[in-house]
Amino acid sequence: MAQITENTRNEVQEVVYDFFADECEVDVSEISEQTNIIKDLDGDSLMFLELIEIFKKKYSLEIELKTIGKYAVKNPVETIGQLIDMQMLIIEHENHILEIV
Amino acid sequence: MANKVVITGMGIVSSLGLDLDTNWANLVAGKSGIGNITLFDASECQTRIAGELPVRFEEHYKQYIKKRAAGQMTRVTRMCIVAAKDAVTHAGINFEQMDKTRCSVIMGVVSTGNSSVESNTTPQNTVFKSMTNALSAWVSLEYQLMGPNFAINTACASSAYALASGYDLIKNNQADVVIVGGADSIINKEEIEGFNALYAISVQNDPPEKASKPFAADRDGFVIGEGAGVIILESEKNAVRRGATIFAELAGYGLSSEGYNIMAPMKDGEGMAFTMNKALRDTGIAFEEVDYINAHGTSTELNDRYETMAIKRVFGEGAAEIPVSSSKSMLGHTIGAAGTIEGIITVLSIYHDTIPPTINLDHPDPDLDLDYVPHSSRKQEVRIALSNSFGFGGHNACLVFRKY
Repeated sequence: MAQITENTRNEVQEVVYDFFADECEVDVSEISEQTNIIKDLDGDSLMFLELIEIFKKKYSLEIELKTIGKYAVKNPVETIGQLIDMQMLIIEHENHILEIV
Repeated sequence: MANKVVITGMGIVSSLGLDLDTNWANLVAGKSGIGNITLFDASECQTRIAGELPVRFEEHYKQYIKKRAAGQMTRVTRMCIVAAKDAVTHAGINFEQMDKTRCSVIMGVVSTGNSSVESNTTPQNTVFKSMTNALSAWVSLEYQLMGPNFAINTACASSAYALASGYDLIKNNQADVVIVGGADSIINKEEIEGFNALYAISVQNDPPEKASKPFAADRDGFVIGEGAGVIILESEKNAVRRGATIFAELAGYGLSSEGYNIMAPMKDGEGMAFTMNKALRDTGIAFEEVDYINAHGTSTELNDRYETMAIKRVFGEGAAEIPVSSSKSMLGHTIGAAGTIEGIITVLSIYHDTIPPTINLDHPDPDLDLDYVPHSSRKQEVRIALSNSFGFGGHNACLVFRKY
């Protein structure tokens, strides 16, 4: 499992904000934790997969997409804030994420 | 009111321009869109020429497609979206005021062009770039349309078949509006070498603009073009209700399969003649009513010979009186897009009473003696016009357009 530090959430937030700003052609200042990914940014579900790949490399995570998929179906994400929270859980628990009660 | 099928909007991107008006102006002026290949290094290829879109297309499309979506599309799909959005704008349709379950999309697609010329393909986007239904899917997504939505592949007749299918949807009261079209680009090393191996494309590289010469004695194959054409087909009732400009009527079509050869057309144009006869019979149009034929006219030895023979078979002595021209002399062969692009040119011929020429007909083939409208466009009333498309595998289509 990856080591979570105080800075980790800030790092994750920065990567997520930059990613959406670039892909959706909006200024970073227009993105907040309350921003709705589909309605506000015209985003798509593939972006979630791409972000997982980015974090997988960045933190050398041991995760399988199908595991994340099972978790995401039960815990759908709508906002940027929810997405960051989920990425944090993925980084922290990796393939054990389904064991979170 | 009879349930006529009418054309209310059109969009083209091609080597002659990135919008409808520019394309028409260049076609009427008899300009060639053929030049040296720049999309890849063709220096080792026998054929080094093609009809590429203007270079600025790669900036132009950004006005139409968001970066995120563009990354999931090939160049072919992007061409289609630009032409489709232009056609919808041209038609003045606001889909928010329509029953979207009665609005359809049909695209003629041979391939999406996910070849070696595509760069920056990520594993996540490979499937989206390759799937041949991508063009119709993206158009439906753009407007959230919910009527039937599909792709048709009948080689070089693909988008002519798409028009025929769109006609049927409206005639059978399954749709009020159908966005119909096609897009294609096979300007890549693999396709060029493949067609060279079949002796199907011209190797007269210098000067490029003179290579596509349908019906000429020194023709040596077609020149590959790229582009997209999209037509808005609409029920007359719907078009009149919303006060749309009607550019022409799609009066009907003839489709056939030759069951003969994977590449060569049926001897002496028998299958081509059958298709034109079928189109005229099904639309109830008399031979003498036809004012213009937009030929398939590829600039290959067999097509031009057989198409000429077919026109003579169908129209008899009257064939000599009918202007027949090939847009491929200027655009090259846009493969899956050709049926719609040439359909649009036929519609504009009717709308403007102007027939674009066959350029490069400097040395006419003595065996081919129809009126091919050589060199210059002709101002002439066009009430009824045919547009022919014939594809590898024996897929034939003849569309019949009528002045509205």
